[in-house]
Amino acid sequence: MEELLKVENLEKHYENTGVLGTKKEVAALRGVSFSISARSTLALVGESGSGKSTLAFCIACLERPTSGSIIFRGEEIAARPEEEQRTVRPKIQLVFQDPTRSLNPRFSALEIVSEPLLVQGQCSKREREDKARALLAQVGIPQQKALHKADEFSGGQRQRLAIARALALEPKLLILDEALSALDCSVQAQISNLLLELQSLLGLTYLFITHDLAMAGHLADEIAVMEQGKIVELGPVEKVLRSPEQKVTQRLIMATPRLTDAADGLVVA
Amino acid sequence: MRYLLHRLTQAVFLLIGASLLTFLFSTLAPGNYFDEMRLNPQISPETVTALRAQYQLDRPLPVRYARWVRSLLRGEMGFSFSYNTPVAPLLWVRARNTLLLTVFATLFAWALALPLGIWSATTLGRAPDRALSWATAALLVIPDLVLALGLLILAVRSGWFPTGGMVSVGFENFSRIQQFRDVASHMELPVIALVLSALPILVRHVRAAVAEVLEAPFLRAAASHGIRRSRLLCRYALRAAANPLISLFGFSVGALLSGSLLVEVVMSWPGLGPLLLEAILARDLYVVIGGVLFSTMFLVLGNFLADLLVYWADPRIRTRTAAQ
Amino acid sequence: MIQRRGLKRWLLALAALHGVVACAGFFAPYDPAEQDRERPYLPPMKIHLVDAQGLHHLRPFFYAVRLRDGSFDQFEESTGQPLPLQFFVTGARYRLLGLVPTRLHLFGAQTSRIHLLGSDAYGRDQLSRILYGGQISLLAGLLGAGLTLFLGVLVGATAGYYGGWRDGLFMRLAELFAALPWLYLLFALRAFLPLAVSPVRAFFLIILVIGAVGWARPARLVRGVVLSARERDFVRAARGFGATDGYLLRRHILPETSSVILTQAAILVPQFVLAEMTLSFLGLGVPEPVPTWGNLLASLQQYSVLLSYWWMYVPALAIVPFFLGYLGLASTLHQDAGIGKIERTSSWNSW
Repeated sequence: MEELLKVENLEKHYENTGVLGTKKEVAALRGVSFSISARSTLALVGESGSGKSTLAFCIACLERPTSGSIIFRGEEIAARPEEEQRTVRPKIQLVFQDPTRSLNPRFSALEIVSEPLLVQGQCSKREREDKARALLAQVGIPQQKALHKADEFSGGQRQRLAIARALALEPKLLILDEALSALDCSVQAQISNLLLELQSLLGLTYLFITHDLAMAGHLADEIAVMEQGKIVELGPVEKVLRSPEQKVTQRLIMATPRLTDAADGLVVA
Repeated sequence: MRYLLHRLTQAVFLLIGASLLTFLFSTLAPGNYFDEMRLNPQISPETVTALRAQYQLDRPLPVRYARWVRSLLRGEMGFSFSYNTPVAPLLWVRARNTLLLTVFATLFAWALALPLGIWSATTLGRAPDRALSWATAALLVIPDLVLALGLLILAVRSGWFPTGGMVSVGFENFSRIQQFRDVASHMELPVIALVLSALPILVRHVRAAVAEVLEAPFLRAAASHGIRRSRLLCRYALRAAANPLISLFGFSVGALLSGSLLVEVVMSWPGLGPLLLEAILARDLYVVIGGVLFSTMFLVLGNFLADLLVYWADPRIRTRTAAQ
Repeated sequence: MIQRRGLKRWLLALAALHGVVACAGFFAPYDPAEQDRERPYLPPMKIHLVDAQGLHHLRPFFYAVRLRDGSFDQFEESTGQPLPLQFFVTGARYRLLGLVPTRLHLFGAQTSRIHLLGSDAYGRDQLSRILYGGQISLLAGLLGAGLTLFLGVLVGATAGYYGGWRDGLFMRLAELFAALPWLYLLFALRAFLPLAVSPVRAFFLIILVIGAVGWARPARLVRGVVLSARERDFVRAARGFGATDGYLLRRHILPETSSVILTQAAILVPQFVLAEMTLSFLGLGVPEPVPTWGNLLASLQQYSVLLSYWWMYVPALAIVPFFLGYLGLASTLHQDAGIGKIERTSSWNSW
């Protein structure tokens, strides 16, 4: 399968100015390299502070990496100037963790989902509304609720809205940054099933960031484990979960609450 | 120490900035003193031109500013066209009178606001607090101009207070004690006006600060140790509330200074206010600039004093700066 | 819920007050410039229902006023002739709300002038002047507040959104403006603008001055809101699908500042009306003959007026209900311990 995304030696340093003007450099990413094949799902796991979100933002062009390259569909995008990045952005979309924060509570569902189309300015008002309604249907939001404000929806429904919004510009790569972590267990199941459906329907590629190994096992084809800004283990999901090589991976597996199937000891979601 | 030095430099920069700002404003003046003089047929055009050159008004702004700064360092602060003297001595006399008023007003206002605010906070929700809230609300709603004028009318019609000026006729012949009492009696009305205008805000803030501290967990813990209420109040609660209250003190100085401008004019107290107004109407440029700067200086001094108090009262600031 | 009811109450009260002033022509019996030089400084006239003989009249009436024998300035009622107070009379021409020409006034009298609040040195009716004066003073306050808020939002949003040197510059400037004693700053700015100008120019001049002085505090508040709004996820998300700065500010960030702006408006408007009053009172604002609440008080700078003509003070009280309304509005918006409202009892008393 073709490589949709290839990241090479990505580094991101932040400068924090202390109280008296002392500058401290924080290295969030220290040379990250991996690739994702089209139509597959890569799960990125790690503890808090390992650099997962920073990586997500860099790939989504919301942050600029200090060095390294990001090659999307064969083209380098990290080094491009702002205006050119704007043409690339529609194809890589981000779904955030907390739908209460990632959706403007004053907007209606329709407005939220059609916002990307409005911003890109390519459709007429009618077309925007039609597309938005189609997206709402695709993620399972009833049409009567299209004009309700965002804060009138439940957590799970809001995350559906966020996904619908992310799909508005027909992206190729969807980055889900802990997108299920803020939801209840049963809702998590629903949404993850929706994601799988959409993947096969629309031919999407997912970069699934999570600290929940069980979820990773359920959804992903490959797993990458991050620790302190570097990828320390990378491989097909079953292999990594069954025989983890790194200590940090083992720690993560141990920490996952398991409903074990006595036969093969695999973590069951 | 470092903290104080930092604050001091901030204060100096503020004063410099204020002087630049007022100078900048002065460039807005479409005409000036001399244009109006020129219209006066009794003054020859040559005199006007000579005066203009003498006071450097036809030079560009940076030159004027530089000259003014030099004059400042000489202790003159420019020249008053109406009074025909350097500005500084004029200002010092008036400033002393304004300070007299403002200092006493601040003292009295706080002397009233603290106990009233604390009383309000300790009886939160009950009769004394409600009564005080209504009273402060009533005062808040009356703006200072209305208050000052109202008090003035009251004084004039009732004859209870001397109205206008700082001293009575024949002041020079009074004995020391009589002079003291005379000035004090003339101060009564303006001070009352200032205190009444500042009191409602101060009481409310004291109430809020103390009430917040009274709800704090550490105070409950202390109470559970069986410490007496009065001791709790004085040694624990007030100490903790000191920080916001001292900032409020700095703020109150500024508010009272602004208020004093109006009160002085209304009640003819010979302070900076009437001088400033006169200078504006006479277009006496350097007096206006000097007046604004003087008042800013007092404000900055007041805030610096508050910073000193905070430094002394709040050990956290000392340790925080030491750790840096 | 309680808060919304309280809000409506204050808004209604303010609307009523503003409405009365806006329809000054209707509520005022006379044109504010109409003079009566023969009889200056008339005291307020009383409305009676029972006349000097003890007869009860159906219609309220008043007495004409004449000079007391042997006095220059003491007036008394000439109780011989009761003059009926009439309602909905035809009087001087005016334009209601500046649009509709009409001659209808709420009340008035036929043969003699009625001065419910007395008259001034030129015999002009104080009540009429107060009502018309309110139009100028309130408008100055509203427009001044509008200008200040506009400047504050501009500066605060720029500083908060773009950060960097813009933020540093604007915030230093705001610190400077906020550090100076407000009234002194106002006077300093006013000082250097032309002094003797026509009433219309003076009006706009003082709006400019008032508006230019008070922007620092709103700017700081707006900046705070913009700083936090900028980091919100939905803003990041919008940037993620290519939104421009302008779009983000317009659709997402500035709407967040609306509550701050409204609260500031409620606080600033009365302060600015007061500023106009102060400037006009001291002769630095709108000059005669246009009445404003400030210059109506200017005569009080004379000792004789203070002593004998106490009704010249009444224009000062006109602002008090407005102050009350705006402060009430501000505290409901701000959710402070409101005027007279104390919610909780503290546990201090239970120890």
